[in-house]
Amino acid sequence: MAAMLKPPGNFSVTPHKVSVCIVLQIYAPPAQITLPFPFPFSSIAQHNRLGMFLLALTKSCDDIFEPKLDELITQLREIGGELDHWLSDHLTCRLSSLSSPDDLFNFFSDLRGILAGPDSGVVVDDQIILDSNSNLGVFLRRCILAFNLLSFEGVCHLLTNIGTYCKEALSSCPTYELPHLDDSSNEVEALLVYENMDLENFVFDKVTEETEARKMASEKVSFHIHAPKALFGLIEDIEVSAELKFKHREKTGEASSFAHHMKDTLRGIDPNGGIFLRTNWQIQGYLCEQADAIEKHSCSFPLNAFESILRQLQKLAPELHRVHFLRYLNNLYHNDYPASLENLHCYFDYSAGAEGFDFVQPTSSASNSFGRYEIALLCLGMMHFHFGHPKQALEVLTEAVRVSQQQSNDTCLAYTLAAICNLLSAIGISSTTEILGSSYGPVTSIGTSLSIQQQLFVLLRRSLKRADGLKLKRLVASNRLAMAKFGLTHVQRPLLSFGPKASMKLKTCPVNVCKELRLSSHLISEFSTESSIMITDGVFSTAWLKNLQKPMGSLVLSLENASGANSNAFHFCAQPNSIPGSVLQLLGSSYLLRATAWEIYGSAPLARINALVYATCFSNASSSADVALAYTKLIQHLAVFKGHREAFAALKLVEEKFCSISKSRILLLKLQLLHERALHLGHLKLAQQVCDELGVLASSVTGVDMELKTEASLRHARTLLAANQFGQAAAVAHSLFCMCYKFNLQVENATVLLLLAEIHKKSGNAVLGLPYALASLSFCQSFNLDLLKASATLTLAELWLSLGSNHAERASILVQGALPMILGHGGLELRSRAYIAEAKCYLSNPSFSVFENSEVVLDPLRQATEELEILEYHELAAEAFYLIAMVFDKLGQLEEREEAAASFMKHVKALENPQNEQDPLFNIH
Amino acid sequence: MSSKESCRNELRTAICQLSDRCLYSAAKWAAEQLVGIEQDPAKFTPSHTRFQLGSSSIRRRFRTNEIASTPTAGVSSVSTPMLEEDEAIDGDFYLLAKSYFDCREYRRAAHVLRDQTRKKAVFLRCYALYLAGEKRKEEEMIELEGPLGKSDAVNHELVYLERELSMLRKNGTVDPFGLYLYGLVLNKKGSENLARTVLVESVNSYPWNWNAWTELQSLCTTIDILNSLNLNYHWMKDFFLANAYQELRMHNESLGKYEYLQGTFSFSNYIQAQIAKAQYSLREFEQVEVIFEELLRNDPYRVEDMDMYSNVLYAKECFSTLSYLAHRVFLTDKYRPESCFIIGNYYSLKGQHEKSVVYFRRALKLNKNYLSAWTLMGHEYVEMKNTPAAVDAYRRAVDINPCDYRAWYGLGQAYEMMGMPYYALHYFRKSVFLQPNDSRLWIAMGQCYETDQLQMLEDAIKCYKRAANCNDTEAIALHQIAKLSKDLKRSEEAAFYYKKDLERMEAEEREGPNLVEALLFLATYYKSQKRFEEAEIYCTRLLDYTGPEKETAKSLLRGMRKAQSGFSSIDIEHLPP
Repeated sequence: MAAMLKPPGNFSVTPHKVSVCIVLQIYAPPAQITLPFPFPFSSIAQHNRLGMFLLALTKSCDDIFEPKLDELITQLREIGGELDHWLSDHLTCRLSSLSSPDDLFNFFSDLRGILAGPDSGVVVDDQIILDSNSNLGVFLRRCILAFNLLSFEGVCHLLTNIGTYCKEALSSCPTYELPHLDDSSNEVEALLVYENMDLENFVFDKVTEETEARKMASEKVSFHIHAPKALFGLIEDIEVSAELKFKHREKTGEASSFAHHMKDTLRGIDPNGGIFLRTNWQIQGYLCEQADAIEKHSCSFPLNAFESILRQLQKLAPELHRVHFLRYLNNLYHNDYPASLENLHCYFDYSAGAEGFDFVQPTSSASNSFGRYEIALLCLGMMHFHFGHPKQALEVLTEAVRVSQQQSNDTCLAYTLAAICNLLSAIGISSTTEILGSSYGPVTSIGTSLSIQQQLFVLLRRSLKRADGLKLKRLVASNRLAMAKFGLTHVQRPLLSFGPKASMKLKTCPVNVCKELRLSSHLISEFSTESSIMITDGVFSTAWLKNLQKPMGSLVLSLENASGANSNAFHFCAQPNSIPGSVLQLLGSSYLLRATAWEIYGSAPLARINALVYATCFSNASSSADVALAYTKLIQHLAVFKGHREAFAALKLVEEKFCSISKSRILLLKLQLLHERALHLGHLKLAQQVCDELGVLASSVTGVDMELKTEASLRHARTLLAANQFGQAAAVAHSLFCMCYKFNLQVENATVLLLLAEIHKKSGNAVLGLPYALASLSFCQSFNLDLLKASATLTLAELWLSLGSNHAERASILVQGALPMILGHGGLELRSRAYIAEAKCYLSNPSFSVFENSEVVLDPLRQATEELEILEYHELAAEAFYLIAMVFDKLGQLEEREEAAASFMKHVKALENPQNEQDPLFNIH
Repeated sequence: MSSKESCRNELRTAICQLSDRCLYSAAKWAAEQLVGIEQDPAKFTPSHTRFQLGSSSIRRRFRTNEIASTPTAGVSSVSTPMLEEDEAIDGDFYLLAKSYFDCREYRRAAHVLRDQTRKKAVFLRCYALYLAGEKRKEEEMIELEGPLGKSDAVNHELVYLERELSMLRKNGTVDPFGLYLYGLVLNKKGSENLARTVLVESVNSYPWNWNAWTELQSLCTTIDILNSLNLNYHWMKDFFLANAYQELRMHNESLGKYEYLQGTFSFSNYIQAQIAKAQYSLREFEQVEVIFEELLRNDPYRVEDMDMYSNVLYAKECFSTLSYLAHRVFLTDKYRPESCFIIGNYYSLKGQHEKSVVYFRRALKLNKNYLSAWTLMGHEYVEMKNTPAAVDAYRRAVDINPCDYRAWYGLGQAYEMMGMPYYALHYFRKSVFLQPNDSRLWIAMGQCYETDQLQMLEDAIKCYKRAANCNDTEAIALHQIAKLSKDLKRSEEAAFYYKKDLERMEAEEREGPNLVEALLFLATYYKSQKRFEEAEIYCTRLLDYTGPEKETAKSLLRGMRKAQSGFSSIDIEHLPP
């Protein structure tokens, strides 16, 4: 029993349309009949303005939300000039004079008179003729037609609706209380209303204080938000006093703009208050739009407010099953597992997945008696993935593969394969057998001799091929991204382990990564020409609103000194364009991936530029989590190159912007920064505390949140190292290495090995440290981690140095070799370490004489101290100052020596008594 | 419980008052109970008593513990219906209004009473308005089947009624009937807590209004809510509790209450039907059938509850009785949802699923919240291999009552049929959660775990164990556990369960392949354990059966004999079977 859907584009007469018709009648008074009112316009301009207004009204009449009478009247006043009272009075008079069905019949037959009939040869001089093919004419004809199609009952209903429509405006007295939203932004909203009170002209002079109070209480007056703006946006030559109001809105930020939207929606579908149900198509569009919004804003999307709207919608339209899907999405992004599970099942039980699921092309076997339950499985799998249940997710996705093969739904199969790839690459799998049951089809069919990584590679290639064959452009692009991601961290090995062995360079292939990335962004060129495939019609009718919901203010943070002035340049993003949001999102993630790739390969400027491109151009189209990621990258860059003060300042801005959104990503960044800084300042207790907090963020399931887990234990080891607990630090690092090895995290391995080398260096066991440093170097080489390689080289040099002065030459060569890379791309810490190492090489070289060439040593040391001061890295700074003091001592420049010694003293003291330092930055925590 | 005579008097007065206020269904219910009280044989002519004798026979047959003559369980708070206003001065307007009401001209009735202030008149006015609103709502539902396929029709009178009645309540000028109406309105408007309070007030001051009790019952969705109600004692409360227990699936408690009530109301058809309902839930079909036969003899034109009778007949595959029943209800009232349901059941039994669906649909058209019709329609669609439609029908049932384990089970089955066993598990889990003592559900879930695609045998065994613990009448569970344990190479466990299964089959004197399988396994198992005596017993038993197993048993026996005679049992080579 599939849902019975009415054809789209249902045009029904509503009270609002009746009022528009009345205004139309004023605009173009019928010729034959003697006017019941005098021609009111004093000037042509005034008349034209009304015409423009009407045009805008008719264009926006397909909106989900229709303005109420008082809103309409307010708008009329704004354009009416001196006519305002006359217009609105006339409108209300006309409306209230419609008291019997016969009045309505007469009204609509009068309306015919406005239209220029084909026989209207004789034209009276100053008569305004409405061409029946013009916009206004077509609107009028549609209204008349819709009215004529109404049954008598329908006419009666229209009459009652008009009654309520008028009554509401007149008394502003809600018969029903609005369902109370338990949304925190309510208070903000109430305040806002209060602020705006003076801006709003009440329509009727006799509004008593009581009704005012009621209005405020019921929060029904927030009318200035969407629809009116849509209208005013169209009419350029009308100067609107509403400008003022907009500013209020922008200030309150995203959360409250949602609230407004909610309210409008509520009003739109509130059965007792306004009652204007929209067509199915429009509601579908609205729901699509909301789905996008949920995915974009995830947690910050108001859960309860939207839930209550959905519940209401469901009550009104039980046959509209997509509501269940929206409820699922809403719950999913608020991490409510039972509710989302329930709603997902509910949605697919009802609609069998047949009710316009976006990515299913209408051409593919539409009349499938089986339904589209494979999509249900796909969704369920992705849900489990989202909640971090990899095992269940794999089971379900396997079932999805099987069912879509049975139903020969290739599209779904391609998507499922892509989902499995995502899953496999996102979770750490040590071995196939551990996590995959014997039933695991797609992977086991390849053959068990391959490692999981190789299987993933094969799967990726298959999935890409399939998507290419099916011409699923978006999927191809996202598969290419997955390939690039895979190529970034994996060395390709030959799949066959027999036959003649070709000589293989065991290295990752950055060229391939670049190629995949470039290919994936070809997607946009395909969409710029082709008409979009997505079902946009429903969405498009709400595009008027969508346009304005977008916060007009600057989205790009003025992280650097970039002023807010150029942020206006990004307004174009807000215009509805032909490129679907999902494409933009994909394109954006390719930039984000580029940034990550450059980060890994070790080019700081390129990474930064890509992150910046993303933050400026794609932040509108992409999800808040991704935007947060881009900002995170930028801030990390700041922290590394400009020191922590700037980074914390930027973090503060970002935190404000995202208020509650994607807490985890920003929170993670904050913890990372805090930890880094605590280490530099020698606040070891705090560092440990932050470290523990970081560890708690990760899920407890094995294989999930690997990134976080490695991060946490890496930082743990570093804290221990800073506390000079070498044995423990080495143990932690060792177990981390084992874990990374088990889950095939090679890039992390390089870092861990380097850390081990550091630990041994610090503990004075340089000989033990050497093999670790060398191992790390070779890892870096095969994964093309250039910056990390430079840093490993530096560590190697330091190790040699600590072995004695006879290795100084070798160390010097190593440092010199790494210097170009470090000075070009390295951060403050790395650079100063290199400077110090360079100086040390000179100093410990027996053939080097300070007296001859003191600047060679002093210059890098000075550089190092400068940079370390910015970083507030006490330990290294003390070392640098110590060296400077020694050099000056040798040179016999006592004054400078004392100065350097004093600085040394300061840093050592700060390091020893970290508590004494009153640091405002820590208070953020 | 109060004496029969006092009950009788209370009910007599109540019936007059209820029908005076046009609460006809409550009056009907009260009258049924009035007649259900056992008559004092001294006062009545033998013809009367003979009319009632028939029913007592079945009562005797099934009542295990005869309740001693009506002990007083508590003191009723209200003894006789009070007559708060003098009936004599019933205004002429009231009489007019009531006659309009009786002719279903509700608005007219309300209009006549517009200026009346007496409680009775106010109640009737409000009640008439409420019904008028309901009627209009029904009409609008059809008119407004607008672009969304569904209307937003509401009873427009609710707002007014709520305001009016809450004001009356505040002033203290509202009678229990008004409170009942207020509770009804509140429930419709979704303020359930207040509705409960108001209804409790109503039934505490006037317990004979069954409508108020049923309304209150619909608000008791959990046992906690039920227990938290502050109800005064009255014998009507027992009826309420019995009904509420039943809806909360506490069938034994409910049965106890009804049997207790039968002490006074020994001829009540209502109680008999309710007992049948409880027995049906406990799957005691024989008893249910007898009760219904009796009921139909006494009350041949009854349509209520006959759908359940048809289910019993369906389960017992009584073609002709079911067709007779269908014919009878069809002649009595064709447009009752129950009638259509019974006919649907009949066609289903005949295997004509398309026709059956037509009638279930008709039943649903008449009452779209007819739970079991949705579920059974789902079953029909499953039979017709139209799984999406089946899923849809089941889901509707579940949405009407999320505690309907049959529909959850149906959903699971449908998905399993479509080859989505993992997806189906979700539904099976739901159904076993709601009905944890039903072995069939556990077995279905176990089978789902066992499917080729999933092969989650451990979980399957767990399910079967649960099934075996809750009285698995079809004896599938034990056998399955044994088989799965064998497949998982846990022979000790397998032997334990095979033995249990065997004992059971012996007790029930059942034969079949399962028996042979068990014997064969046990024989080989004991032989491998070197417990030859036991092995021999099983082998000899196997010899009674024909087929390849007999030969295997023979060779096993031969092997064991060899092992025991002469040779030391250690280095004997086992003969291949």
